[in-house]
Amino acid sequence: MRRLIAVIQAIGFATYKEWAAFRSHMAASLLVGPVLFLVQVFIWQAMYDGKETLNGLTYSQMLAYFGVVTLIHYISFDFADWNLQMLVRSGKFVTFALRPLPHWLFAFSQKLGHRSLALWIEVLPVMALFIFVFGVNMKPAAPGWAILSIMLSFLMNFFINYCVGLTAFWLVRAEGVRRVFLLLKDVSAGVFIPLSFFPDALQKILFFLPFQFITYLPTRVYIGDYELAGIHLSLGEAVGLQAAAVAVAGVVTIALYGAALRRFTGVGV
Amino acid sequence: MRGIVYCLAAVMRTKLAEQMAYRSHFALSVLLLIIGDLVVPFVTLLVYQSGASFPGWSLHEALLVQAVFTLAKGVAFPFFFGMVGTTLSQVREGTFDLLLLRPRPVMLMAMLTGFDPDDFGRLVSGSVLFGYALSGLSGPSGQSWLQFTLLFVASIAILCAVSLFLSGMLFRWVGSSRVFDIFDAVTSFGMYPGTIFSKSLQNVLTYVLPIGLIAFVPASALLGRNGWETLWALAPAAVFLVLGALYWNRMLRGYTSAGG
Repeated sequence: MRRLIAVIQAIGFATYKEWAAFRSHMAASLLVGPVLFLVQVFIWQAMYDGKETLNGLTYSQMLAYFGVVTLIHYISFDFADWNLQMLVRSGKFVTFALRPLPHWLFAFSQKLGHRSLALWIEVLPVMALFIFVFGVNMKPAAPGWAILSIMLSFLMNFFINYCVGLTAFWLVRAEGVRRVFLLLKDVSAGVFIPLSFFPDALQKILFFLPFQFITYLPTRVYIGDYELAGIHLSLGEAVGLQAAAVAVAGVVTIALYGAALRRFTGVGV
Repeated sequence: MRGIVYCLAAVMRTKLAEQMAYRSHFALSVLLLIIGDLVVPFVTLLVYQSGASFPGWSLHEALLVQAVFTLAKGVAFPFFFGMVGTTLSQVREGTFDLLLLRPRPVMLMAMLTGFDPDDFGRLVSGSVLFGYALSGLSGPSGQSWLQFTLLFVASIAILCAVSLFLSGMLFRWVGSSRVFDIFDAVTSFGMYPGTIFSKSLQNVLTYVLPIGLIAFVPASALLGRNGWETLWALAPAAVFLVLGALYWNRMLRGYTSAGG
């Protein structure tokens, strides 16, 4: 176990150093995040004109929602899907098939390193801008539950994206599928609008899909109140449900990975 | 001019043939663009259904702004925006030099190489949305249509200028795909009725960084909200396009290739 942790640390640190050379790439978020947020401020300012709440959210809660969504996006950002598809398509996956470490764990270690760098280049500066420039209340209602929920969101996003990447083992060119799926994922996760704005029937479906556990649920936990499809959960119940969903997603990912490896053919394999 | 048309036709044929090698991927990409373009209107619809609205704008009027935005992208993206991706990948790989050797202007070659048939999918989503938005409005007058047509040309010019700025930036900021995020962020101001922004920001978005001209001003003209004086907006669009071309050529001069 200690050896495995050392391996994860080494891969994570190498990825951190590699991406630190391209830090301006990440630093673009200091422009992108606040500009997109500014648009949201104007939109919701206009929408709340003469209204106290919309679908149970006040104006300040709505701004906090989009602020937290942005931060969760930066914390749990993932491109394991793109990376895996590129490796399979180009044949470079062969080198991973020969290593004494499953690729999914390698990819996860890379994500840990990549996002550790993002923490101080993207997450903390953008959070500071939201608090000090836009005056958004970014204080979590229950810090413990919020941190736990964001960590689970980190895992969930990885598992889902990795499963999408695994489609490359079955499809010749899976980029289209990947992009369609990721767009639907963002819509269903509540990135563009809180899921409580969706029609009731859709909310019931979204409640049972895994996507809400990436963005909507952790954001509502952060704000301190979870409700979807008329179902109210306490913070503990919501995070418990999220943990169960992440565990299922992890099992599915490992099972799919095994099936994909059995299907994989490469030069000399 | 005949040479340009011939080049464009040849590129379109080749790109289409290339896409046909992966037909399901092509179909999915077009579908993705259609769905992707309908996300913001879908969100607008959900918000209006919740009882909220942009003050002074009905649902169909707000959707009209977003439809014009999508239509403008449907025209500009296949022809101009591909050059951003071309510059991004070819400067990084060092293959941009090949464009310098061809017997046509480099900017034209960058645009032609970046031609992307997938992006015509945006015309489908834009047209559907445009039709839906107009179905809920009283028919625009002939004057409104004329103003709209002229302003729509300005809208395309602005998107072309933005492509030139982003593409030019990539000669220095090598390989950064974040330019697409920057585009999405900056142009997101143009997807909503300009009246929701503060007066000073509205002026900035019309005369300094004319993002408002992409959709808000043409849509307002179609709705008959503006008089002929709105055509003054063509001037900043033209200036922006000229600045974009100058910037791109200046950045190209700074291109050092793989040899330094």
